[in-house]
Amino acid sequence: MDRRISQIGLMFLVLFGALFVQLNYLQVFHAKALATAPGNIRQVVGAFSLPRGPILTADGKVIAESTPVNDVYHYLRTYPGGSLYGDVTGYYSIDYGATGLESSYNSYLKGHIPPITSLSGLLNSGYVTDSLTTTISSKLQQVASDALGTKKGAVVVIQPSTGAILAMVSHPGYDPSPLASHSGTIEQSAWQSLTSNPSQPLLNRAIARAYPPGSTFKIVTTSAIYDHDPSIATISFPPVSQISLPLTTNKLHNYAYESCGGMVPELLKVSCDTGYAQIGIKLGAHNLSTEANAFGFNQVPPIDIPGAAASNFPVASFFNQNLPQLAYSAIGQGNVNATALQMALVGAGVANGGLIMTPHLMYQIRNYQDQVIVQYQPKVWLQATSSATAQVVTSEMVGVVQGGTAAGIAIPGISIAAKTGTAQTTLGIGSTISGSDNWMVAFAPANNPTIAIAVVVPKQAGLTGIQTGASEAGPVVKSVLEAALVAG
Amino acid sequence: MNKQAANEEDKYSTKPDSSTSLTTAKRYKVALSVPSLRNPRRRAELGMLILQTIIFGLIYVLSQTGLTGKIPVHIPRSTIWLAVLPYLCHLGLQLLAPDADPAPLPLISFLNGFGYVMILRLDPQEAALQALWSAVGVVGFLLTLVIVQRVTLLDRYRYLMMLFAIMLVLLPLAPVIGENINGARLWVRFGPLSFQPIEIAKLMLAIFFASYMVEKREVLAQFSPFKFKRASVAIRAAGPILLAWSISLLVMTAERDVGFSLLIFLIFVIAIWVATSNWWYLVFGSGLFVVGAFVAARLFGQVNERITVWLDPWKYSQTIGYQIVQALYAFGSGGFSGVGLGRGHPGLIPVVTSDFIFAAIGEETGLLGTTAILFCFALLVGFGLRVSKRAPDQFSAMTATVLTLTFGLQAFFIMAGVTKLLPLTGVTLPFVAYGGSSLVANYVLFALLLRISSESKRQNRYTKKVETRTPPTA
Repeated sequence: MDRRISQIGLMFLVLFGALFVQLNYLQVFHAKALATAPGNIRQVVGAFSLPRGPILTADGKVIAESTPVNDVYHYLRTYPGGSLYGDVTGYYSIDYGATGLESSYNSYLKGHIPPITSLSGLLNSGYVTDSLTTTISSKLQQVASDALGTKKGAVVVIQPSTGAILAMVSHPGYDPSPLASHSGTIEQSAWQSLTSNPSQPLLNRAIARAYPPGSTFKIVTTSAIYDHDPSIATISFPPVSQISLPLTTNKLHNYAYESCGGMVPELLKVSCDTGYAQIGIKLGAHNLSTEANAFGFNQVPPIDIPGAAASNFPVASFFNQNLPQLAYSAIGQGNVNATALQMALVGAGVANGGLIMTPHLMYQIRNYQDQVIVQYQPKVWLQATSSATAQVVTSEMVGVVQGGTAAGIAIPGISIAAKTGTAQTTLGIGSTISGSDNWMVAFAPANNPTIAIAVVVPKQAGLTGIQTGASEAGPVVKSVLEAALVAG
Repeated sequence: MNKQAANEEDKYSTKPDSSTSLTTAKRYKVALSVPSLRNPRRRAELGMLILQTIIFGLIYVLSQTGLTGKIPVHIPRSTIWLAVLPYLCHLGLQLLAPDADPAPLPLISFLNGFGYVMILRLDPQEAALQALWSAVGVVGFLLTLVIVQRVTLLDRYRYLMMLFAIMLVLLPLAPVIGENINGARLWVRFGPLSFQPIEIAKLMLAIFFASYMVEKREVLAQFSPFKFKRASVAIRAAGPILLAWSISLLVMTAERDVGFSLLIFLIFVIAIWVATSNWWYLVFGSGLFVVGAFVAARLFGQVNERITVWLDPWKYSQTIGYQIVQALYAFGSGGFSGVGLGRGHPGLIPVVTSDFIFAAIGEETGLLGTTAILFCFALLVGFGLRVSKRAPDQFSAMTATVLTLTFGLQAFFIMAGVTKLLPLTGVTLPFVAYGGSSLVANYVLFALLLRISSESKRQNRYTKKVETRTPPTA
């Protein structure tokens, strides 16, 4: 029996030895393959199972927060504002990553262990999060979204003196909550329905989609006159309804074949295309292109969320072979396109004496003890024009509201500077969809601007009647300005 | 004197002075020793226990800190219980079995504590229950030491134990109290507590096997398929065992549990081989095993499923193979040194606290931790086999062997199942996994082993051990 017991000992030695070999295989030789296998979601869970700081509007409304839940991730990201703030916060999704502020301020939002500075800190430490306060005003965001209604489009509201974005709306928006769900099926079906929707709800139209800016670009053209060739301002253009363009038989005509002319302020007031086409050709490709670049075209605005697109104005050499295009570019058509953010920055630049401030959504970041650890410091992005030019352009834009194309947004007692834009995109070669991209850029009060706004309502099914910047974008501008400037 | 009586005499009268031994004289009184640290064995045990408590404390603090990022300030009562319980066992050994081997208690306390910390980190409610069951286990440990003053006492009640074991095995089939969990009808529910009677039945069956085989070993040893007459004698002798064994197998088939069926069958085959030294039993047993496995795979979806998953878990990683694949990921993510206590995500593995606790340890403490656990089990098996080698008589030796086999094979099967070395058999990892009945059964099992260990040491004190076991006679 003793021998048998020894043999049992030997058997156990072999069995446990085999286990040891298998453990070495799993945990050493094959460990990396297992740890990084696509089905092994541990790394993802690791990142997603920490508390995450809240995102708030400037007035303290919570628009993203983490709530403790009883599953492997421990915390669920929710967005109490729903689709209203979807493009601001972005989403924080297990399967689809992070966008918006969730992505750009991840290092502050995610849970981290603070440095231990005291003995009591040693016992009370744990994962803490910072909270992010945005520059967004919940009131203006709501008003802008409501005013846009069911229309596809975008609104960007900026504080000209700081570059703080007070509202950023893109319609249709999306609710980030289902994308942050811990249930793979909810997440995937939400993603499916968002990505298969032809209106592209996930596209942030405010910063990522450029449309022909139409006549709102005339702000830049006007600024170019005073910066590069002030003599043009002394010319009075005779009233015409259409002009011939050089090197082509094509003719450029005014909106509805109206006849217009005069000096620059009158041309701007009625948005005279024939006049500005001639101004463009007189200014020349180099001057106009330089001015567009000075206002931020052809660069991605340094906003603190990912996904912003550059707005485009052709390089000067492009017009050497395409002189007629210069006429179209001067009125914001042809090869020019701009995002709502870019046009808001154009407005804000003029409003701020020619200085475009870096646009930003972060106001401050507070740590878990409610101490401010990062306070946004306003920075100049571009010197777009001189303050003298800005002053002249402002006064001419005030004229647009006083009996010009933007007369509809006038608010008694407040001096508003604005410019409408109606880009007749059917002018483009091969386009069969009729309709226009409708714009308005405005800032107020004109003598000391506190708010600049750009609204775009691109061509879309469902818009009826004659569409112009004034009719489609104007009411949105007016609602936001009223909310911001009229007390009560 | 008939042969039976001669055998009886033979079994116990291994020492010339056994009739005058202390334990025999005080058989019906609880023999209490005076606690003293002058006994080097108990002194060593206490030292190792203190070390174990320090390790337990560190593991607890690390795990909770890793989990919450905070050093735990409010220590739950259950954790304090877990730290105190080993010292109650130590006191029990001081009083009741002062000469027992000092190694096992610190080892099982370590396993119990480590398991508790992992369960606490995964499911605090289960951890509180685990602490409660640990306390019940320790009570069982102490009661066993009090009641079983001499392990040979058990020999007298073997048929009673067999009957009791069969009753326990049948209990879950009873209509009201029986309960189905995960497709197996193994549980009995009393109010909030579920209990697996088979864990206790397993012990009783093991002791019955030991007792019966020692008595009938000469008859059983004659078994050979080539000598019909002797084989028929052997089969007649093996009758009751075969009966007990087939009843438990049958019932387990009805209760749908592969793990314990396999475990009891293997213990039976190996035990009969140890008792008789007849290799034919191993051959015969292997044949039976192959037939049984084949039939079970055909008849029971569960068996078939486990084998299919074992052959290629990746193919079923989203369905029936999900659990094992997640366990393998856990081992891989743990790597050599683990992701850190409390820092892993073992919650991704379904029912991780009972069947897959070893994978959770693998993830958080890596190969270092799993090897430590493996070594603990190897040392405990080594201890058990040493006890059986040094046991004062045949029955004690056989009992120790069978108990060690039960413990060691159960540990091996679940570890092998979780690491995909073998198909998964749903047994618990002794002392580590969540499960009340398993804890209580294993505490009782070690109380018996320590009792035998204490006896052999005590007898060796008076006489140098001499080989007095009956030589195999024709």
